[in-house]
Amino acid sequence: MALRSPLLFLSLLLMASLAAAELVVVANPRSGIERLTQEDVTNIYLGRYRHLASGLTAEPVDLAGDAALKVRFYRALVGKNLAEINAYWARLVFSGRTRPPHVAENVEAALHYVAAHPGALAYVDRAQADKRVRIVFELGE
Amino acid sequence: MRGNVHWWHGILARSLMAVVGIALLMGGVSSLLVNRVVGERAYEQSVVKLGELLDTVESTVSIAAFVGDEQLAKEVAQGLMRNSELLRVTIRSNERELALAERAPLRVGDGNRAVKRLLYSPFKADEVIGEIRLDADQASIDALVAKDARFTGWLLVIQLALVIAAAAAAMLFLVVRPIKATSDRLHRLDAASGERLAVPESHAKSELGRLVGDINNLTARLVATIGIESDLLRQQVIDQRKYQDLFDKAAAGIFVADRDGRLESFNRTFAALTWLQRRKETTGRWLADAGWQEPARLLALLRDTLADPAGKATRADDFLLVGRRGDERWLHVAVTPLGDGSVQGTLTDVTERRNEEISARRLATTDALTGFANRAGLQHALAEITPYTPPFALVMLDLDGFKRINDAMGFAVGDQLLMLVAGRIRKVLDARDQVARVGGDEFALALAGEQSRVALDARVGQLLRVLAQPYDVSVAGKHDQIDIAASAGIAFFPADGHDLQELLRSAELALNSVQAAGGRSFGYFEPAQQLAVEHRRRIEDDLRHALDAGELHLVFQPLIDLSNGRLAGAEALLRWSHPVRGAVPPDVFIPLAEEIGLINEIGLMVLRETCRHVATWRNAGLDIHVSVNVSVRQIPDGLPPGAVAGLLEQYGLPSDAIALEITEGVLMHNVAAAQTWIEQLRADGIRIYLDDFGTGYSSLSYLKRFALDTVKIDKSFIRDMSADNSDRALVDAIVTMAGSLGLRVIAEGVENTAQLDILRQIGCGYGQGYLFSRPVKGEDFAQVAAHINTALVAGWQN
Repeated sequence: MALRSPLLFLSLLLMASLAAAELVVVANPRSGIERLTQEDVTNIYLGRYRHLASGLTAEPVDLAGDAALKVRFYRALVGKNLAEINAYWARLVFSGRTRPPHVAENVEAALHYVAAHPGALAYVDRAQADKRVRIVFELGE
Repeated sequence: MRGNVHWWHGILARSLMAVVGIALLMGGVSSLLVNRVVGERAYEQSVVKLGELLDTVESTVSIAAFVGDEQLAKEVAQGLMRNSELLRVTIRSNERELALAERAPLRVGDGNRAVKRLLYSPFKADEVIGEIRLDADQASIDALVAKDARFTGWLLVIQLALVIAAAAAAMLFLVVRPIKATSDRLHRLDAASGERLAVPESHAKSELGRLVGDINNLTARLVATIGIESDLLRQQVIDQRKYQDLFDKAAAGIFVADRDGRLESFNRTFAALTWLQRRKETTGRWLADAGWQEPARLLALLRDTLADPAGKATRADDFLLVGRRGDERWLHVAVTPLGDGSVQGTLTDVTERRNEEISARRLATTDALTGFANRAGLQHALAEITPYTPPFALVMLDLDGFKRINDAMGFAVGDQLLMLVAGRIRKVLDARDQVARVGGDEFALALAGEQSRVALDARVGQLLRVLAQPYDVSVAGKHDQIDIAASAGIAFFPADGHDLQELLRSAELALNSVQAAGGRSFGYFEPAQQLAVEHRRRIEDDLRHALDAGELHLVFQPLIDLSNGRLAGAEALLRWSHPVRGAVPPDVFIPLAEEIGLINEIGLMVLRETCRHVATWRNAGLDIHVSVNVSVRQIPDGLPPGAVAGLLEQYGLPSDAIALEITEGVLMHNVAAAQTWIEQLRADGIRIYLDDFGTGYSSLSYLKRFALDTVKIDKSFIRDMSADNSDRALVDAIVTMAGSLGLRVIAEGVENTAQLDILRQIGCGYGQGYLFSRPVKGEDFAQVAAHINTALVAGWQN
C-alpha cells in the first residue's frame, strides 16, 4: 500500500512513536522486499505463501517454545494463542506438504538466520532490529 | 320374544367389527402419515447428520483450503467417505478443486440431496476461501426410511391388535355378558309372582344397573296396572251380571229403540206389559208391533225426544194399549235419549191410576145424590158452546120453600125429596136434554128441541105440574106426604147468553123475578132484568168507592121533648151525595151495602162520626143523646158491643150519649144472638131503641123480652093519624102500653101542629119530624139546636 499523502504518513509516524516497544517483522535486505502487509505476513507465517513477492522462497523464522515475543506476535497478527497456532500446524504437518516456520532458539538466532538467508523473515522488538535486517512490517499491538 | 341371539347379531361382534374397521382405517391413514413423516425425518436426519459430519471436519478442511493442501483435503474427504450414506465429497478452494472422493459416478437429475458449506479463513472470519460439498446417497437413505416405516407399521399392527383385543374383552365382560345374563334372567322371570331382576355383579351404579332398576320399576307398574285392570274387568262382569239381572227382573218394562221404534232390546216385563211374545232373538221387533191405540203419537214422542237439542230431557206420556180381546191397558212411557241416536224407555202400568182419575173426574162432575151432573159437570158438558151450537133453552128450576122443609124435617127427608124430584125431572126429559143439580134445590136443564115459547110453555108448564104433585116420603120410619112446588126461569142460547155463565145468570134472574112474584110458576129472561142488575152492580161499585171518597156523610134530625119543646137529642141519618146521580136514598144503598158486606164498615164509620159530633156539641154545652141506626146484618159481629163502648170511651162520652136503633127484624132474625148482643150493650149503659114500631109483628112481648127502653112509632101511623081514626087509637094504645112497661115513646114524622097536638094529648114523650126540623148537617146542628131551644120553647103552649 503506497502512502499517498504527507498527512497519512505523519499520522503513521505518530503512531510508531507512541508504540515504544513495538513488534516489527524484519527481512533480509537482499530479499527485495521493502514492505509487507499484515496479510502478507499472516499468509507467509501460516504456510499459505511459500514465496515472497520477489520470487524468493519465503523462510519465516519462529521463536522456540513459549517465548513472550512469540505469544505477542501471534496475538497481534491473527489474534490467536500459541495452543491454537500449534493445533493449526498439527493438522498440516500430517499431510506433509506444508511445513511450519523454521525455529530459532532466540531473537539473536532469528536475526542471524535472517541475515544468512535472503528469503527469511523474523519478528523482533523494534529495538532489536539492527543493520543486518530491514523492517518490512510494523505490528501494532 | 326371541330366545337366542345369533353371534353375528350380537353386540360383541358388531362392536368388534366397528372397532376393527375403525382401527384398519386409522391404521391405514396413520401408516401413510407415518411413512411420510418417517421419510421426511430420515431425510432431515441425514441432512443434520451431514451437517454434523461437516462440523467435525470443517476446521480441518478450512485449513486445507487456506493453505491449499490437497493432501490434507483428500484425507478429510476419504475420511468422510467412510460414512456409507455419502455418495461423494468435493472440496474446493477459491482457485481449484482440492479433493474429490466418490463411491460411484453421479447420475444427473437423480434428486440426490447435497449439503454445501462455504469455507472461511481460519484467521479471518469473513474471508471465504473455498467450499465443501457433500452428496448423500438417496438409495441408502430410502432403505433406511423403508426400514423405519416397516418397523413403525408393525408396531401399529401390534398396537391395534392389542386395542381390539382389549376392547373385545372389555365389551364381553363389562357389557355383553351382564346383558346376556340379565336377558336370560328376564326370560325366566315370573313378574306376576313378585320376582324381580337382580342387578348384575358390580353394576349397581352403572347404566346397566339403572336399566335393571328401570325394568324392575316398569315391571312393578305393569303388574300393578294389570292387577287393577283385571279387578276392573271382574267388577265389570259382576256389574253387567247385576244390571242384566235388574234389567230382566225389573218391575218396569225397559226397552231400547231407535227413532223409528225398531227395538234393540227389551226385558221380560216389557214383553208382558205390551203383550208382545218374547222370543229369543230381539232383532226385527218394532215398538209399534204392540197394539197401541195411537202408535203415531208414541213414535212422535220418540222423535221429539231425539230431536231435543239438549238431548238429555226425558219425555213421558200415557198411551192406551188395546189387546186382542179388546182389553185395555194404560202404559206410562218415559223415554230418555241415550246419545247414540237411540232412546231408552221405561213402561209402567198406570191403568189403575187412569181408571181412578176417570172415576174421580166422574165423581167431581156428578151429583152423588141424584146422579145428575153437578155444576162442574154441567160446565164440562157445556164447555164447548160455540156460535154453531144449536139453540137450546136453559131452564133454572128451584123448589119453593125447600129450605123450610129441610130445616123442619131434616136432611134425610130433604134428600129423599130431592131424589124424587130428580126422578120426575128425568122422566120428563128428552134424550137430547141435559140436566144438572147446580145448588141445594136448584136444577139446571138444557132443553133441546123446539125453541118457541109456545113449545117451552108446554114443556116447562108440564114439568112444573108434575113436580107439584105430592111426594111420598118416609119420616122416621113413618109414611108421610109433602106438597112442594117449583119455579123456573128460562133463558135462550144464544139470545140471552153466549156462554154457560151468562145463560145461568140470565135464567137465574128470570127465576128470581118469578120467585119475587110468589113462585109456583115460570118466566122468561127479560133484558130489563139484566139492566136492573147492571144498574145495581154499578151502584155497588160506586158505593165501595163512595166510602173511600167520603161521599157518605151524616145529617142529624133533632128530637124534641114534647113536654117542654126543648131539644132532647137527634137521630143520625146517613146520606150519599153521588157525584153524578146526586143524592141516593138510604133505602136504596143501605140494602146494597148489606148485601155486599159493606154495611159493617159503613156502620162503624157512622158511629165514629156521630161520636165525634156529639163530643163537639157536648163540649159546647148541648147535653143531648144521639141515636144511630143499626142494620140487622151488623148484629152481632159487625158491631161488637165492646167496639161501641170503646168508641164512646175514645171520645170521652158517657154511655147514654149514644143510642142504637134496631128494627123488629133484628129481633126476629137470630133471637139468641140478638138477645146476648143487646144485653151486653145494656150492661154497658147504652140505650137501645126499637125503630119502625108497628110495621112488623109489633109484638109487645118482644119489648118485654128484650131489655129495650124506647120505641119509635113508625111515621106511617103518625102521618095518617087524625082526631078520630084507628091510627090515633093505635098510637094511643102503644103510648099507653109503653108507659105501663116503663118505655119511652118517640113519634116519627111529625109534620104539622095537628099531629103535634094529638101526640101531646096522648102523652107521647118525644117527637121528631119536619115540623121541628129537617135533618141538618153536623156543622149546622148547633145553630138549629139554639134556634129550637129559644124560638120553639118560647112558643110552646103549656
